[in-house]
Amino acid sequence: MRKTNSDQLHGTLDMLVLKVLGDGPLHGYAIAVRLEKLSKEVLQVEEGSLYPALYRMEARGWLSSDWSVTDTGRRARFYRLTRGGRVQLAAEQESWARLTLAVRAVMGS
Amino acid sequence: MPGIRHWLARLRAVVRRDVVAGEIREELQIHLDMRAEDLERQGLPRVEARRQAARRFGSVALHQDRGYDIRGGGVMETIIQDLRYSVRLFWTHRGFSFVAVATLALGVGLCTALFSVIHAAILRPLPYPDPQQLVRVNVVVPGRGEAGEFAPSLDDVRTWRADQRVFRQIAVDRGASDVIVDTGYPERVPVQQVSEGFLEVLGVAPSLGRSFSAEDTRREIPLVALLGHGYSQTRFGGDRGVLGRQIRIAGESATIVGILPAGFYPRVAVWQPFPRRPAGFESMRGTGAPVIGRLQPGLSRARAESSLSQIVDVLDTAHGKPAGTSVRMYSHYDETVEGSGPIVWTLAGAVAAILLIACVNVAGLLLARGATRQRELAIRASIGAGRVRLIRQLLSESVMLAAAGGLAGIVLAWVSLDALVAILPLALPENATPSLNVEVLAFSVIVAVFTSLLFGLVPALRLSRVNLNTTLAASDRRSGAPLSRRSGQWLIAIEVALGVVLLAGAGLMIRSFARLVSVDLGYNPDAFLTMEVSPLDPSPAVAAQYYPALVEAVRRLPEVEAAGAADQLPIGGSRRAGFVTVPEQQPIRVDERQVLPGFFEAIGLPLKAGRLPTEADRTAGRPLVVINELTARRIFPGVSPVGRLLPLGKEPPEIIGVVGDFLQDGARSPVRANVYFVYQGYAELRRQPFVVFVRPRGAPSALVARLRDAAHSVGPRVLIDRIRSGDDFVSESVTVPRRRMVLLGLLGGIGLVLTVVGIFSMTAYAVVRRTREIGVRMAFGATSGHVVRTMVRDTAWPVSLGLAAGIGGAYLTTRVIATLLFETTPHDAGAFAAALATLGVSAIVAAWLPARRAARVDPVVALRSD
Repeated sequence: MRKTNSDQLHGTLDMLVLKVLGDGPLHGYAIAVRLEKLSKEVLQVEEGSLYPALYRMEARGWLSSDWSVTDTGRRARFYRLTRGGRVQLAAEQESWARLTLAVRAVMGS
Repeated sequence: MPGIRHWLARLRAVVRRDVVAGEIREELQIHLDMRAEDLERQGLPRVEARRQAARRFGSVALHQDRGYDIRGGGVMETIIQDLRYSVRLFWTHRGFSFVAVATLALGVGLCTALFSVIHAAILRPLPYPDPQQLVRVNVVVPGRGEAGEFAPSLDDVRTWRADQRVFRQIAVDRGASDVIVDTGYPERVPVQQVSEGFLEVLGVAPSLGRSFSAEDTRREIPLVALLGHGYSQTRFGGDRGVLGRQIRIAGESATIVGILPAGFYPRVAVWQPFPRRPAGFESMRGTGAPVIGRLQPGLSRARAESSLSQIVDVLDTAHGKPAGTSVRMYSHYDETVEGSGPIVWTLAGAVAAILLIACVNVAGLLLARGATRQRELAIRASIGAGRVRLIRQLLSESVMLAAAGGLAGIVLAWVSLDALVAILPLALPENATPSLNVEVLAFSVIVAVFTSLLFGLVPALRLSRVNLNTTLAASDRRSGAPLSRRSGQWLIAIEVALGVVLLAGAGLMIRSFARLVSVDLGYNPDAFLTMEVSPLDPSPAVAAQYYPALVEAVRRLPEVEAAGAADQLPIGGSRRAGFVTVPEQQPIRVDERQVLPGFFEAIGLPLKAGRLPTEADRTAGRPLVVINELTARRIFPGVSPVGRLLPLGKEPPEIIGVVGDFLQDGARSPVRANVYFVYQGYAELRRQPFVVFVRPRGAPSALVARLRDAAHSVGPRVLIDRIRSGDDFVSESVTVPRRRMVLLGLLGGIGLVLTVVGIFSMTAYAVVRRTREIGVRMAFGATSGHVVRTMVRDTAWPVSLGLAAGIGGAYLTTRVIATLLFETTPHDAGAFAAALATLGVSAIVAAWLPARRAARVDPVVALRSD
């Protein structure tokens, strides 16, 4: 069963996290830094809210996590996409594409 | 969907809470450190970097908590917390919990046990395939009304069976009677006589051996028998090698050919083929042996009746009998449950009322407690417990109560079922074996759980509408209370009304029973003993010798004042009818008995005219009779019958005396016309043994052993069935009404107790809730009497309302039991008044006790309380 997010902020955050992790496993802080680069707004409010989001996505089976060591030799928790996560990412991207297409058609550009 | 791994992770979070919480804390800390280091690298001073990192991150505690909620125990942990809290509350409020659980258990348990019995008695009394196809058949000769209805002959049965158009199978069922069976150990046991095909009609096969064939029913061939399961167990230990063994039934040798399955007619010990009578019997209609058939599948009773009537008419006219004969069919099911209706529905209603009272009680308790907890809930809400969380908490408390009550109820149902069957005031159908009914149990438990949940939730739902600030600021337990006070009063009214109906029913039964047992039977039952005894050799010659000799032997005992015998017990004996022919009148039906001299003295029937029989009369050589007053009045109005001939039978007997009337079958029976023949040994063969009547001098208990000795001393080998006092069988004759009274009395009592408990607890909580208000009133000079009056008045209104509604309800519902009452109208003013008074007084006392406690409150303490 595929859950779609009703909550806009959650939905956007989730989609971006999935997108970021699509390139490979990252720890929480690294995700936050990537997100910052992608979009100034998503984590504008509080960086801490990333973590409940990560846990939620993990609970949904989109992500898995493990303690590991960073390049600089620090201990950190790394998140990676599960197969479910990849399917979800694809679904989100597709629905996003449809939405933008529809908006473009309406706006007549 | 989250899989099993997810739940394992959650479980880990619950069990190893610290580890998971620590992981989250560590992860967040790492984030903060990394951010601070980055900022430092960008040139900020260390302190400022840390400050900014923390600012950007937001509240660590908040995110940590949210994180834990998601990753950690979350739902599961709060459930466990709720349960833990519920158990603690359950224990802290032991009194409350006990009352609630006991109330629910009573409701659930009684309801389940009784409905299980009803299920066995009414809903499934015939545990056979397609019981609706079973019918009893009578042949109807036209133009003679009810008198023209006869049981079909065996030839009819066999013709219809061969025909197959109407019946799939059909048989004669003569019924059971107590007969001496000797398997090496002679005893009198129920023996049922049936024709071939009987088992097949019911769709039952012997568990061992074969059933009866048409051949077996002929008199000329050796007797065969089937054993009931229970009897084969007790006498042969269930030995399968029992087939082919010989037993004696009423002195006749019989070969065992089969054993019936367990549970099939459990009371019947032995089955023997019917009729085994002299030639000509098989073509006789109206022998009194009922015929039962199984209609072809899909054939309705009405259509079966009309097509069989045609068949019978055609056959009868072909055989030269009068035309117009038809048949009538009766539903076997209807006849089986007949007469059970009123008492079953009464009990069902009573038990439903108890379940309802129980639920109302629990509702009241929960409402009352909810009201006192309003403040606690408000506080918990104000420190962050969400509405959902609060509702969940209350829910788990209610579930806990309901579960405990339901469990206790199941235990109670299980324990009480057998006891209930033992005192059940109705004859259970032959094959009905009540067992705990799962559907009923589920229903009762669901009702209990639903009630608890519903009323347990009310406080939480109400709270969510209440402004927290006002609740807390009011600092007064009355906030939110008016509603609960009003609903509490409604609940009291409902309880009282139901209680009145129950008590009125119980009162009617008690009154009716008191009238029933105080009826003058015409003789004094506690003044004599009866001994039922019979020679093992059933030949008439032996009996004709034995009984007079036995009576004489008994009479010689020093402890005996008078002794005699009759061929029937005064109550419950089978009757033999004769018809007295009076010129220009319809024949008068009389009951005939054979008596040995001394019978009237022993049973205590007073002589009204003429004389009582003596030993000399036994050799008079002509029939002599004693008649009762009713017979004398009917047949010889205005003249003395003594010395006249009674126009009865071929040889009219001479009337030597007139004795008093008695109620033949106990208090509910009418006086019947009785004719007592002095036994002279000429009576035709009677299977029924004589009963010896003994009037003892002094205490009867010492006499029993002497009577046994006497019975064995006379000569032939005999079997003593039982020795009873007259009281025993009189009291047996009112067993059913007594059980009715006991059971309804019990239910009424339980209803009363539950109602009182409910009113007591609701008032008690009201008092606790209003302690402060009471303090204020007393501080302003209210006397304690005034306070008590105020509190009691709050309960008196709903109680009065309930009493009024209850009387109305009783007036409408007690009609149902009208047929069960003896010389008591269903609207008996005494019973109603007693119900009102009992409930009214109990209710006011139940309200007054806690109110008195309120009045003892010290105003200073009360004002400080909140």
